[in-house]
Amino acid sequence: MALLEVEDLRTYFKTRSGDVHAVDGVSFSVDRGRTLGIVGESGCGKSVTALSIMGLLVPAARIETGTIRFDGRDLNRLSEHELEDVRGRQIAMIFQDPMTSLNPTLTIGMQLTETMQRHLDLDRGEARKRAAQLLEEVHIPNARQRLDDYPHRYSGGMRQRVMIAIALSCNPKLLIADEPTTALDVTVQAGILDLLEELRDEHEMSMIIITHDMGVVAEAADDIAVMYAGQIVEQASAEALFDQPEHPYTEALLGALPQLEGENVREGRLTAIPGRPPDLLNPPEACRFAPRCPYAGGDSCTQEAPQLREIRPGHLVRSAHPASERAGMPVGASA
Amino acid sequence: MAVNPEEVDVRTDVIRHEIAASDWEAGGAIRQASLWRDAWRRFTHNKAAVVSMVFFLVMLLYVIIVPFASPYDPNAVNFNIAYLSPSLHHPFGTDEFGRDLFVRTALGGRISIGIGFAATFAILIIGVLYGSISGFVGGWLDNGLMRFLDALYGLPYLPFAIITLAIFGTVNFWTMVVALTIASWFTTARVMRGQIITLKENDYVRAAHAIGARWHRVLFRHLLPNTLGIAIVFIFLELPNVVLGEAFLSFLGLGINPPNASWGSLAEDGNEQYLSHPLLIVIPSVAIAWLILTAFFVADGLRDALDPRSEAAA
Repeated sequence: MALLEVEDLRTYFKTRSGDVHAVDGVSFSVDRGRTLGIVGESGCGKSVTALSIMGLLVPAARIETGTIRFDGRDLNRLSEHELEDVRGRQIAMIFQDPMTSLNPTLTIGMQLTETMQRHLDLDRGEARKRAAQLLEEVHIPNARQRLDDYPHRYSGGMRQRVMIAIALSCNPKLLIADEPTTALDVTVQAGILDLLEELRDEHEMSMIIITHDMGVVAEAADDIAVMYAGQIVEQASAEALFDQPEHPYTEALLGALPQLEGENVREGRLTAIPGRPPDLLNPPEACRFAPRCPYAGGDSCTQEAPQLREIRPGHLVRSAHPASERAGMPVGASA
Repeated sequence: MAVNPEEVDVRTDVIRHEIAASDWEAGGAIRQASLWRDAWRRFTHNKAAVVSMVFFLVMLLYVIIVPFASPYDPNAVNFNIAYLSPSLHHPFGTDEFGRDLFVRTALGGRISIGIGFAATFAILIIGVLYGSISGFVGGWLDNGLMRFLDALYGLPYLPFAIITLAIFGTVNFWTMVVALTIASWFTTARVMRGQIITLKENDYVRAAHAIGARWHRVLFRHLLPNTLGIAIVFIFLELPNVVLGEAFLSFLGLGINPPNASWGSLAEDGNEQYLSHPLLIVIPSVAIAWLILTAFFVADGLRDALDPRSEAAA
């Protein structure tokens, strides 16, 4: 049984003009010890998916339907009190901006021990020792001395390492990383991703990495789900997705990526995706990508919404024109 | 399904085991909170604030020490020495009853400053509680509490304090504190609410929720300590206001009963004879001005020191 099974999750935001369908029927599962990467552009619902799992949605948002089965329990049915016991202990989360994720008035040591004292039966001395160990584990030099420092003495990369150490302090079963490297320098990014992978194996965790960066999932994820306008449009193992992308959106995302080496080095400008994602207030009763899709034209695309289907074993796609079923060129493209 | 308690224990044990395996020795020098050291450095670089702090402390020492050290009974009447000019024996002279003004001004200061500090702390406690609960809970409760505050804002300050005193029927130290607190806690509550709402959006508050922290921990551990700087500044901003308010009420004859006196009632006594003996009103007025000005400059210095972003180029 998978560690986390999300089924038909729908999270809506209540607004004056109606419900915004931020997450609209998302299903996926994360096996023990595996990393799932969720990719998509801003506003596609990837962060809301994570917050729905954690039960940390803002008051205006609510989970309309769906089950979030974690380790045999439906998190959606737990009370706030029960959820608080799960958070930090079974499921930990790290956020995008390490510069603001630490409380400036508490020492690093105090913030590291906070989670442990909340969830584990450790006294202060034990928690402090463990905190120093954790700092060492995330490769912060002079860990013991640095426990008494305040966050302003840490650089951005080091703060993210501290956030990871805090997340790991209770040996959670699942770590959700929401854009863990976006706010960091490119040189620091790779180090953080390596660290996450190393710790995942050491602590036998599962991981969900949420990012807009194809490069990050390529490096860190075993499985990838591509989200667009609140839905998963393609889901496959990392190799399969990069070798044989099926959905036109995935292809476009990869096409928008700079490539420095390899067989198909591109020259000239990167290809941007024309248009904008649909309004999630009234999502169209059709393929949501159709207005931006180079292959949509005059057929079923504009009338009925395609379902997620298994095009190959383990490879799901939501499109009427997946790459392997396409005969001709993009509509309007000249040969 | 609930969390299996055995599993919890196992995990704690595993972690204990890992701790034991490390070569940690307890202790190690705990370094001074550099946050406060930095603030102190910035404060001492502000000359006006440091000088004001010294003058403020001089005033405090004066009102604390002089009544103990003075050979004169502050309430003893002796018409033979009425209206003496300042001399070595009576640095501030004497009043119409021959009472030494040097010691009476110090005692009046004790009452004025005492009422000032007591009311300031009461204001701070009420304001922080009201404001932080309003900002933290948000929603309809916030709306209700703030509209109530708006209604109170509509009432003018002095009549509000006067009515409160009238309801008590008597005027003494504590009824004065209560009246001044009730009349002036609104601004603190508003500022605190604004602070909490701003702080609530911080990522570290979200992170605290994400590690399963309960609401009281989020409020008391993560939000309120971050308002400490503002609270300290507020003490020095609110103190002069309260002292002035008390002086105002006393000057109108609503103050502490004779023979006790605050600076305000000393000034009121002096007001009756300011043409013939101007010193009687000048001295308490200077004392009030001294305290208020120094407190404001200290508040200014503290604000710059505790909030580096507002620091002027120095």
